[in-house]
Amino acid sequence: MGPGGISTEIAYVLGQTGGLSRTPADVFNTVYLVFLILGTLVGVVVIGYTLTKAWRYRDDGERDDESESDKVVRPVLGHLPTGSGGGKKLFVSFGISAVIVLSLIVWTYSALLFVDDTPPEVAAEGEEPLEIEVVGKQFNWEYTYPNGHTEEPTLYIPEDRPIRLKVTAADVWHNYGISEFRVKTDAIPGQTTTAWFVADETGTYEAVCYELCGSGHSAMRGDVVVMEQEEFEEWYANTTDGSTSASVNSDVTGDTDANANTNAADPAATEGEA
Amino acid sequence: MTEHADHDHEHHLPPKSSVKRWLVTTNHKDIGVLYIITSLFFLVAGGILAMMIRAQLWTPGGTLLGGQGYNQAVTSHGLLMVFWFISPFAFGLANYLVPLQIGADDLAFPRLNAMSYWVYLFSGLLFLTSFFLGSSLAGGWTIYQPLNVPAFIPEVNQVGSLATIFALMLFVAAVTMGSVNFLTTFYRMRAEGLRVRDMPLFSVSILLTVWMMLFAFAALLAAVILLSFDHLLGSVWFSTAEGGSLLWAHLFWFFGHPEVYIVFFPALGVMAEVFQTFSGKRIVGRKWFVIAMALVAIQSFVVWMHHMFLTAINLPIKTIFMATTIGISLPFDLMVFALIYTLAKGKIRFKTPFLFSFGALLLFILGGITGVFLGAVVLDYQFRGTYWVVAHFHYVMFGGGTALIGGLYYWYPKMTGKMYDEFLGKVHFAMFFVGFNLLYFPMFVVWETPRRVFDYAAEFTMWHRLATVGAFLFAASFLVMIYNMFKSLHSGEEAPDNPWEYASAGEWAVPSPPPLENYPGVPSYAGGKLSFLTRSEAADGGTVVEQEVAGTEQTAPDGGAIAHAGAAATTPTTDYAEELALEDEHADHASIWPFAISASAFVTFLGLSGISKAYFIWPFVFATGFMVAYFGIEGGRREGFGWIHPVVMALGGAIAAGGAYLLAIDKGGLGAAIDGASVYFWLTTVGAFMGAATLTQLGFEEFNVPEPAIAEQWPFEAVSNVKLGMWMFLGSDVILFGAFIGSYIFMRVGHGWTDWHHDFIPEAHVVLPGLINTYLLLASSFAVVLALVAARQQNRRRLLGYLITTFLLGVGFLINKAVEWEHLFHLHEGAFADGWTFTTNIASSSFYITTGLHGAHVAVGLLITLYLIVRAYNGAYLGEEEADTIEHFGLYWHFVDIVWLFLFPLFYIL
Ligand code: HEM
Ligand SMILES: [Cu+2]
Ligand SMILES: [Cu+2]
Repeated sequence: MGPGGISTEIAYVLGQTGGLSRTPADVFNTVYLVFLILGTLVGVVVIGYTLTKAWRYRDDGERDDESESDKVVRPVLGHLPTGSGGGKKLFVSFGISAVIVLSLIVWTYSALLFVDDTPPEVAAEGEEPLEIEVVGKQFNWEYTYPNGHTEEPTLYIPEDRPIRLKVTAADVWHNYGISEFRVKTDAIPGQTTTAWFVADETGTYEAVCYELCGSGHSAMRGDVVVMEQEEFEEWYANTTDGSTSASVNSDVTGDTDANANTNAADPAATEGEA
Repeated sequence: MTEHADHDHEHHLPPKSSVKRWLVTTNHKDIGVLYIITSLFFLVAGGILAMMIRAQLWTPGGTLLGGQGYNQAVTSHGLLMVFWFISPFAFGLANYLVPLQIGADDLAFPRLNAMSYWVYLFSGLLFLTSFFLGSSLAGGWTIYQPLNVPAFIPEVNQVGSLATIFALMLFVAAVTMGSVNFLTTFYRMRAEGLRVRDMPLFSVSILLTVWMMLFAFAALLAAVILLSFDHLLGSVWFSTAEGGSLLWAHLFWFFGHPEVYIVFFPALGVMAEVFQTFSGKRIVGRKWFVIAMALVAIQSFVVWMHHMFLTAINLPIKTIFMATTIGISLPFDLMVFALIYTLAKGKIRFKTPFLFSFGALLLFILGGITGVFLGAVVLDYQFRGTYWVVAHFHYVMFGGGTALIGGLYYWYPKMTGKMYDEFLGKVHFAMFFVGFNLLYFPMFVVWETPRRVFDYAAEFTMWHRLATVGAFLFAASFLVMIYNMFKSLHSGEEAPDNPWEYASAGEWAVPSPPPLENYPGVPSYAGGKLSFLTRSEAADGGTVVEQEVAGTEQTAPDGGAIAHAGAAATTPTTDYAEELALEDEHADHASIWPFAISASAFVTFLGLSGISKAYFIWPFVFATGFMVAYFGIEGGRREGFGWIHPVVMALGGAIAAGGAYLLAIDKGGLGAAIDGASVYFWLTTVGAFMGAATLTQLGFEEFNVPEPAIAEQWPFEAVSNVKLGMWMFLGSDVILFGAFIGSYIFMRVGHGWTDWHHDFIPEAHVVLPGLINTYLLLASSFAVVLALVAARQQNRRRLLGYLITTFLLGVGFLINKAVEWEHLFHLHEGAFADGWTFTTNIASSSFYITTGLHGAHVAVGLLITLYLIVRAYNGAYLGEEEADTIEHFGLYWHFVDIVWLFLFPLFYIL
């Protein structure tokens, strides 16, 4: 599948007409917003309805049982349950809720495909993603760039360019996440997971560990510095002390298939550059 | 209503005012009360930790607890609340009420029930002890790996960590015993005419809960056993880089997701009961409500990977688990709507139990909606590891807890015979509900806070402070509850049989509190209403059976006129006279051994937490020798001495002496062995000896539990209680072994199925010992079958002969295994110059531990065989019915045999 194949369609499904500049963060924020609105709506309606009914049918000692609810058979001590009506209403509301839930989830499925896909070219110039390896260790993050350069504990990245992360751990289970860019993935010893994101604004952000990993877990944070593209290129040029063979791997154009992120343990890929 | 005299003394049960009563009781109502009180104690313990957490979070990066201390608080809080508070609280209610609701006079196995309770209590005490052994476990209640193997735990904290793991193991044992007991009770002891689907909804919910428990906890047990061996013997299950972490995650969540329903279902049952009573309506769509619950119970076993969306699982699997997750939320929609529609046309009385159940429904709606957010995988990615998850599961789990508290108020009058204080109850609810939302709702707002982290963005401070304030209000509300319960016990109004208008379940048709035997006769629902059958002598000398219909007089709410249930409508009938005569059989209600055995387990596991690898096996060798000898002594003393008794005693002595000899060789002299033994070794030894003695006493104790003669037993009319119980237990054992075997296959596939042999396994690991053992076990199974035949034919000599044959074949199996292991341990072969031991690699770990678990099953079977031999010598088990014991043992033994038929090819041939 070519770059942006699936994702173009998804961009379409998601109603983005503004070109390819969607990022996982945008997708998350859209889906979250829709869920929040619908969730609040459903919550207010259901809880409102429940409260109204409860109040309406309170036993204030005034309502005459017989006249108002002649159809209701009250439970009697020691009697086996007999069927109680209301089944139809039950199924209608159940049906409605099922439709809401199912359509919401089906709709988000396309978003999932987008996020799980390899990063598309976002910039008009067709810039390929920057692939960075991340190793979590008690209690820090270590980054390896395509040229073999390693950084710790700060991540330097260019703005507006897809960043593809290959994440693993050296000791225990961690979880790598940058809240601002809505990217997160597990860092598991012996496994490699992938995730991608785009930083659309320069500045300093935070990468945080989201899985309990020991006594220093609460402090396992590192800065993420987003630079303008030229600034980054400059910085990056000064780091080319890594091995040249590493560049092979940096050639990740959009040609990897959609399943690339599904490969499980592939320590060889990690070691190849270290 | 306490007009009836306290008959308890007639059953050898001391009065409730005596401490002894509570140590020996096996009555389900007493045990229910014990469960409730104990679980509330653990609620307080977990609550104190929660307060410490919230205090730490008053400012970002608080310093009240250090990094490790905070982790420990978070971990212990989670474990205590999920395991030691909420489920046992629900099972306290279930213990008390299920027999009353289904028309049984107790659970099927009263002593086992007592044992569940005591093991539960002692497991919790072991947990609390772990705080004083360096540190309790600090790696999260999900116990992710490899963080929780010794390599990543500071030396000083290792004993405490292992104690926590053992506490969990004991807890699981308690749960498994409870599940077996409840399942047998449900299927064998319902009142006549009470179909499963017609049971009160609380009982239905408990039935489904115990089904889930039986299987889910077996998976947890497997995980915890593996983990404990990683600690105890240095096996490498979870420290293996290829898949160790994921193995744990799969095992844990295979248990963990059903667990969330295990926690929630009893609450759902309480809500259904309370909604029906306080709205004066039967639940809407009852049938669908039950079907929905059953669906969830089944489906709960196929959603676990939604906790692992961010691991390297592939898209198709993610898609499947997303679908099952959303699928499982739909039945809940139906249940929620059923509860809501039940309110319509009701006559709703906002009493405390209803307020709590109603509040629980509102909280659950919120928890459910936020759960759907998590079901959307793109959202879950970002919520994972944040306060969104924390808020979500507190809304659902403690939402459930809210209903359970409503249940406590609802049944308080039934259990104590006193009304609680309604005003204080409402105060409690107000503080509780406001506190709850103040505590947890802000967590949704600042969901971007990472979970289990005490540092957060400064702009979140306001919200976290709000939560902390809510937490203290919430905690204070429980003080009101506890005060109310104590006060009402002393000065509450007397409660009538049924204080609640429109209550319909059976427990309200008997006095508050109910008498020891529960019912004024044998309960029956034949004809659609609860009635009680009693037998009395007629004037002409024959028997008359009377049938009283329960609850024909409406009792006034609020304790006005107190009417005795079932006073009117006495119809004499002639049916059932024979069965009723059987029902009069004497039942026992007191045994100290469940308590004593559990206490021994506590001591043993406390010792094991700190014992060194080199000493681990010896306490058990000596205790086995002691136990065998003790069989001989007790058997002879109680039933008359014969040649078998000295033989057995000598055998026990030989085992102990042989053990001492080997230990001396191993450690260079007995003196050196004793010098090298730590206090933990002695603790383990004392515990194991206590266990051997108390288990033997339990075995020899006369304890009569009549099975009901008139009962609804579909679909198990044809099997006895014990046999059904054995089936249920073996069912969970299947999962246990299945999890072991599955773990082995998982790790082997992870490494490469064929490389496994080449990389990990020495040449010396040959097929022959396994093959010999296969024949030995098959032959022993055959011998058990013959023993059963002999017992049925009342041939004592042949019974003895075949039992002894079984025993010898089993011993042969163990000796052969010991020789094989000994050889492998001490290899000097190429890559395995230091031998092939527990710690060598994942293949050796899995081989020794899986076949070792099986070997332990064989060893237990052999001890039982010896016990049977001693009893059979004096004429036990002869006859059609008496032989049942041999049959039940045979079930177990064949099962152990069949397991071997799976293990042999997996570990020797493939
Ligand atoms: C509406 C139905 C529900 C859905 C769709 C749902 C979904 C989920 C999902 C996907 C997660 C994983 C979050 C993550 O760690 O990334 C989760 C976590 C959790 N859920 Fe639910 N849930 C539902 C109902 C419940 C119920 C009824 C309970 C308990 C009574 C419950 C208890 C929990 C707990 C304890 C966790 C956290 C486990 C942990 O410690 O990581 N959930 N839920
Ligand atoms: Cu961490
Ligand atoms: Cu789950």
